[in-house]
Amino acid sequence: MKQYAYYPGCSLESLSMGYHLSAIEAARGLGVELKEIEDWNCCGATAYFHVDELLAYTLVARNLAMAEKEGLDFVAPCSGCYKNAYFTNNYLRQDPELAEHINFALEADNLHINGTTNVRHLIEVFVDDIGFEEIKKNVSRPLKGLLVAPYYGCQLLRPRKDGEDVENPQFFEELMSAIGAEPVNFASKNRCCGGSLIITNRKAALDMVHVILHDAEKNGANVIATICPLCNVNLELYQHQVNREYGTEFSMPILYFTQLIGLALGITPGRLGIGKELVSAAPMLSYAQNVESR
Amino acid sequence: MAAELTFSKEIANLMYATHGNPIKDCFQCGTCSASCPAVEFMDHTPRELIGMINADLKEEVLASNTYWSCASCYNCTVRCPAKIDIADLMYSLKRYSIWRGQYPEDLIGPAFSESFVKMIVRTGRSFEPVLAPSYIFKYGTRGLIQEAQTATALVLKGRLPLLPTKIKRLENFQRMMKRIIPLGES
Amino acid sequence: MSEKVGVYICHCGSNIAKTVRVEEVSKWAGEQDQVAVARDYKFMCSSLGQELIEDDIKEKGLTRVVVASCSPHMHEKTFRAACVKGGLNPFLFEMANIREHDSWTTDDTEAATQKAKALVMAAIDRVIHHSPLEPIPVDINSNTLVVGGGIAGISAALELADAGYHVYLVEREPSIGGHMAQLDKTFPTLDCSACILTPKMVDVGQHPNITLLTWSEVEKVDGYLGNFTVNVRKKARYVDERYCTGCGICIEKCPFKVVDNVFEAGLGVRKVIYRPFPQAVPKYPVIDVENCVYFKRGKCKACQIFCPTEPNSIDFEQQDEILQIQVGNIILATGFDLFDVSQIPQYGYGRLANVFTSLEFERMVNASGPTEGKVVLRDMQTPPKSVAIVHCVGSRDKNYHEYCSNVCCMYSLKFAHLIHERLPETEVFNCYIDIRTPSKGYEEFYHRLMDEGTHFIRGKVADVTDAARTTEEEGKLIVQVEDTLINKQRRIPVDMVILSPAIEARQDSREVSQQFRMGCDFDGFFTERHPKLDPVATMTEGILIAGACQGPKDVPASVTQGAAAAARVGGLISRGTVMMEPIRASIDADACSGCRICNELCPYNAIIFHEDKKVSEVITALCQGCGTCVAACPSAAITGAHFTNDQVMSEIEGILWDVRKPELVPG
Repeated sequence: MKQYAYYPGCSLESLSMGYHLSAIEAARGLGVELKEIEDWNCCGATAYFHVDELLAYTLVARNLAMAEKEGLDFVAPCSGCYKNAYFTNNYLRQDPELAEHINFALEADNLHINGTTNVRHLIEVFVDDIGFEEIKKNVSRPLKGLLVAPYYGCQLLRPRKDGEDVENPQFFEELMSAIGAEPVNFASKNRCCGGSLIITNRKAALDMVHVILHDAEKNGANVIATICPLCNVNLELYQHQVNREYGTEFSMPILYFTQLIGLALGITPGRLGIGKELVSAAPMLSYAQNVESR
Repeated sequence: MAAELTFSKEIANLMYATHGNPIKDCFQCGTCSASCPAVEFMDHTPRELIGMINADLKEEVLASNTYWSCASCYNCTVRCPAKIDIADLMYSLKRYSIWRGQYPEDLIGPAFSESFVKMIVRTGRSFEPVLAPSYIFKYGTRGLIQEAQTATALVLKGRLPLLPTKIKRLENFQRMMKRIIPLGES
Repeated sequence: MSEKVGVYICHCGSNIAKTVRVEEVSKWAGEQDQVAVARDYKFMCSSLGQELIEDDIKEKGLTRVVVASCSPHMHEKTFRAACVKGGLNPFLFEMANIREHDSWTTDDTEAATQKAKALVMAAIDRVIHHSPLEPIPVDINSNTLVVGGGIAGISAALELADAGYHVYLVEREPSIGGHMAQLDKTFPTLDCSACILTPKMVDVGQHPNITLLTWSEVEKVDGYLGNFTVNVRKKARYVDERYCTGCGICIEKCPFKVVDNVFEAGLGVRKVIYRPFPQAVPKYPVIDVENCVYFKRGKCKACQIFCPTEPNSIDFEQQDEILQIQVGNIILATGFDLFDVSQIPQYGYGRLANVFTSLEFERMVNASGPTEGKVVLRDMQTPPKSVAIVHCVGSRDKNYHEYCSNVCCMYSLKFAHLIHERLPETEVFNCYIDIRTPSKGYEEFYHRLMDEGTHFIRGKVADVTDAARTTEEEGKLIVQVEDTLINKQRRIPVDMVILSPAIEARQDSREVSQQFRMGCDFDGFFTERHPKLDPVATMTEGILIAGACQGPKDVPASVTQGAAAAARVGGLISRGTVMMEPIRASIDADACSGCRICNELCPYNAIIFHEDKKVSEVITALCQGCGTCVAACPSAAITGAHFTNDQVMSEIEGILWDVRKPELVPG
């Protein structure tokens, strides 16, 4: 079984438990083991970078160092954690002075970082490492009839890492096709959900969520697939507030891509953490043939 | 350093050395503001703010709510034709404003970020309920009720933890942080 | 045999004298061996300074001259000329650079003065070993090759032809005219492009001094200034130019149409046998072999069946022809390509039907274009009620091209005008970063557009989308831009969007520059010899450039460069012979062992091998004096004129003047 050093991140512990469960289940169903890093700490999200940059890098570096110790690639399911880890890793590789400073701090926990691990987002594991062919082979319950709006969000794609297409990527759509669903193209697929603005500037975040929900619904989606717990929380938990603010009537199920993959692999919804949403996923599940709703 | 730094130079220094071009490369095209999803909620557009920084209008810049309304989505950064990392600039301004203790009064961001940092230092992990006091009362009565309703629903579905978790090697962790900045008592 | 060296130390005002103690150096020089006279003077390059040299040569019988002053790039020519005036061979002169290499590099007067002495000593020791050299005469063939039949190439060709010189004009497309032929009106006068271009095209076609080779490409270039041998491939038209009258019946009768991606920018169609546009020069059509049913499946032959000439002008058996021509000079006027806007997906080109490029719009407004000049949406019917024109697509952008493309502001204004003219009720929005209108009449043109009610929005467009958020936006293209003059993000719903893409070098410009053995820059534009003072010459003698291939520019600038290149060539031809620098390599045939190591090393293919005598020989005119063969020859059989071993070694000894005496070396 291919192994990865799995970094769940604070959100996946309880708030986005569904993502955590489905990630492990879906990965296992495709021959991949997500081995949780022992005693990982918070990556600092965005808030830490608002206060002190060096401290923030150190927080991230501790987790990277632990992955290095295992000799495994570092995998984060959360776009925020992913972005922090990816760029911290890069800076440490490029800037020996920074690395020295941080390693001095890491010594307090008997850790050392060399920049030898690679940082991946969970979706990259499915798209690049496992691959569409392998996924198609293992799909026992293709999600026929399900119109999925694949929501990339921002920090998975941006900042640019290697000249890739950040404006109109297609890999998430292809992943949804691979599990039998029909991807829906919508303009806001990489437009920010607001992230932590849901706390610090709620009006702005609600507006941003509103645009995404409106776009996805207009283009006929019956579910939005997410790849980040913050995006998921913003789109799901605050839908009723958006409705109140804008006089809309959204009840769009928001599910994690791993939950959808899990369903297609034939895993029961309960094991994928489906059923704990504030916006029920039940109506969406009945669109997809051959899947029992709870 | 002998001479006193202008505000624009101070901000330039705060942006981490390895990425982006200096903000004095800005030729005010407006792509950043046009790409920003939160611009409607900012009192100055991002482009305008950069102009103000380059003009050393320190008080006006710090009194603006623009940089605290940035969601760091990086849309501006990937499109800027002068290759300035504008999202990183917003981070730098946030850090500067916290360092100086100078920002618009009614903002939630600064207090929230400081609580967040303190919480990590104490436990190594983030725990939502602890952060609530830093923002919950700023939403007004209706907002407070709505938030309480959401929280209750989450607790009933088992999605909101009632107790914080601590990492195991917390002592090492805190010593590690002290090696970067001597933190004193949180 | 002892020489009489004259040494002149220049003050260059305070440039040198402030840091180097010039009087001391001069006095010291006067004390050296074989130095007959040493002077210091304020400005050696002045007439009086030069006269010092001339007079000393005549009066003191100087046999060598050294001037210690600025860089040879500045005044080597001046002082060599002074030597000649005084009666001395110009190559018995050496310069020491005590300015760029000395006084301008340090403030330390002690160090600078010591270094000056070393440099002067080196020059003295070297020049003693110089031999007189004579420049090499090269005959200039009076034919010229102009590559590219756009407005720059046409201008160059006509200037030379009218001056009485013969020109070969080679054009890759079936007709000359270039991009200018695609335009409708030209800024700022709004002259009809075809009306001002076609008379020139006709001139070219009819000129007795111009051999027009269209549907042709240069395959191989050999030779050197004055003596180029060029192979041109004349591609088969499958139309016999001896009999074809240009009646066009074949085009009419051809049953098959294809999308015209070249002339019509993909907006219109053409037949498989075609002329790119009605006023094409020459008039002969061309068969598009890839799409011709006869060539693919052996059927049809409608063109041949209906061709009225006797004998028939359609010749399916026609072959490509390779012509070899001899020319003295080559002018490259190969033009430009447009930036591919699908590289910027957020502007929606290709995905959103009513987003057009500027070239597509040019064809649309052209009276003989696919819509007969009507401004309509992609359905070819509906006129737009609002249009947004986006400036700087791919230009002024470090993510694509950092440079400004020069012409787009003006043609974007032109588009606004044409839309106002044809659809007076339509709103036009120009979204720009700056309005660049530098030339004569351009700013006035901009004011005219303001008068016509164009909405100018100062902001670079971030997105063009069809994702409507309000009812006003439904069914429209929304342009999202910051109106920086009022500090607001605006979403402007329009029916049509026109993008103004960057001007790029031709896709194959790098290969072309290698083929002609000259340089191009990182953006692919050909490199001029000097950006300010010599914009049409290149570093390769005999190869010149003109027009947009040197950098984005408008029609008047292209015409000017074409004429300038022609003038330069005309001057060379009228002199008939040109003197080239004699700094060349030569092989001593007696010492040559025939190993041929030098043959492969020469970057200019200037060395030939005589099979019969088994020795190599340098073709003097091709040799550029780089010295590679000189260094490589294992038998030391090759001499580099003006860079002999004696000369170079003496120069080194001279630099080390203060350490070479045994008593100064420790131990």
